[in-house]
Amino acid sequence: MSETWMIAGAWIAAGLTIFLFSFLYKDNPFFKIAEHLYLGAGMGWWFQVYVYNILGPKVWTPLVVNHDWMVLIPAVLGISLVTQFIPKISWISRYGFTFLMGYGSGLAIPASLSTDFINQIGGTIKPLSMMASMTPFAIFNSLLIAFGVVCVLFYFFFSVEHKGHVKTVSNIGIYFLMIYFGAAFGNTVMARFSLLYGRFDDLYTFSDKHYFYASQLIMLAMVVYFLVHNFMGKDKKEVTEDEAAG
Amino acid sequence: MLKEKLQKFFKLDRRWIFLLLAIVLFAPIIKPIGLPNKTISRDVQNAYTYMDTLAPGSFVLFSLDYDPSTRPELQPQAIAMIRHAFQKNLRVGVVTYIAGATGLIQQAFEKVPKEYNKVYGKDYVIFPYMANAVAVLTQMSSDFYGIYDKDQDGTDARTLPVMQGIKNYKNMALVVNITGTSMLDIWVAYVGDKYKVPVIGGVTAISQPGYGPYLQTGQLKGLIGGMKGAAEYESLIKQPGKGTSGIDSLNLAHLLVLALILTSNIILLIIKYL
Repeated sequence: MSETWMIAGAWIAAGLTIFLFSFLYKDNPFFKIAEHLYLGAGMGWWFQVYVYNILGPKVWTPLVVNHDWMVLIPAVLGISLVTQFIPKISWISRYGFTFLMGYGSGLAIPASLSTDFINQIGGTIKPLSMMASMTPFAIFNSLLIAFGVVCVLFYFFFSVEHKGHVKTVSNIGIYFLMIYFGAAFGNTVMARFSLLYGRFDDLYTFSDKHYFYASQLIMLAMVVYFLVHNFMGKDKKEVTEDEAAG
Repeated sequence: MLKEKLQKFFKLDRRWIFLLLAIVLFAPIIKPIGLPNKTISRDVQNAYTYMDTLAPGSFVLFSLDYDPSTRPELQPQAIAMIRHAFQKNLRVGVVTYIAGATGLIQQAFEKVPKEYNKVYGKDYVIFPYMANAVAVLTQMSSDFYGIYDKDQDGTDARTLPVMQGIKNYKNMALVVNITGTSMLDIWVAYVGDKYKVPVIGGVTAISQPGYGPYLQTGQLKGLIGGMKGAAEYESLIKQPGKGTSGIDSLNLAHLLVLALILTSNIILLIIKYL
């Protein structure tokens, strides 16, 4: 990529980041521009991805160049989904959806049952059969996990009224869930800070003289805009108040 | 009187907190403090050890499935693991099922292979983006070239030296999936469990706790979580990168959050009981 394009890219990236962050101060037209650009550019980008990465190599080339007519079957099934938008022939889309449902379920159900159900039950029980070779801490850990699984399952078992011992066990299950949610929320905060750090790191990179001080100049322009806007806003407010008083 | 003064704290314009957070995150970028990252988590250590014990020349498939929205967390993980693979003279294949990853993959591979004098086609190969990951992963189990007959430049994949002896998952020593989506679940369910291929994951910090069960059962050989995980892996391969440099900012930001939580709770208690 040429140097000029790199610099232009840096200005656009720094500008859009600062425009979007400016919303934290208050709503403004620059934020709106960035927001709409994001939506429009995103749609355009996805369109070219579908055309050049899917429609071209998976449908057009096999059909037109290689004359592989078998491709017509999935292509027609795929196109049938679009008939949803034409009420009179929308029934055709059922063929596409039927295929998707059958194919998706056939692939997903056995895999999910094995990975997320049978293996997890095994993983919870297996350590209990290996206690002789485990350290006291590992034994405690395994028992705690097994106990937690049972308590949480009780919490989600609604066919028995939650009272007496069942209520006690399901209440313990709530505490296990809360610990999980707490850990997940803590990690979420860390993830959000990491993303913010990533943007700041880029802004710092673009503040270099190599990029003609893109970050500083755009930031300065935004500050000037807000100052002028506030100043003019005050004038307008005073005029309105005077009119109201008059 | 004191209570009234303290009440004002709760009416503080939240934009001051935003500004404080921005300063705390930005300051270490300008002037790094060098706070240590002393703890290496068990799951990152396991990931490192697994990769480290692979025989030179083994084929490792990297599935890099993240886009710019999760780049700060996941790109450092990917770069650290690719560096480790090149250090160990492993053969590297790269695939992606997220269209937005292609530019980031290109960015990483413009830089890292040169550090180890690795040659495209001989030591590593990048395959183009593919849609419908489940179908692709299933197809790859019988014939890798049924899906990836050409690399990203349109070269016949079968002719590349890096692909010699690779026909399907049985010929791969390890799959590394770094993702900001649920791709890791798909790799574990449709490849790891089904074809007994070892899988290592790299995920965002948000997703990290959810993968605990897969680690407990050994369905994942290791897991790297967020920027912290990237920093840990970088310290294991002794090559500090973006993960390590972000630790200063993360530490300070977390301290700020803790200080704010403590302060507001103490003030609340004073208002309530004094």
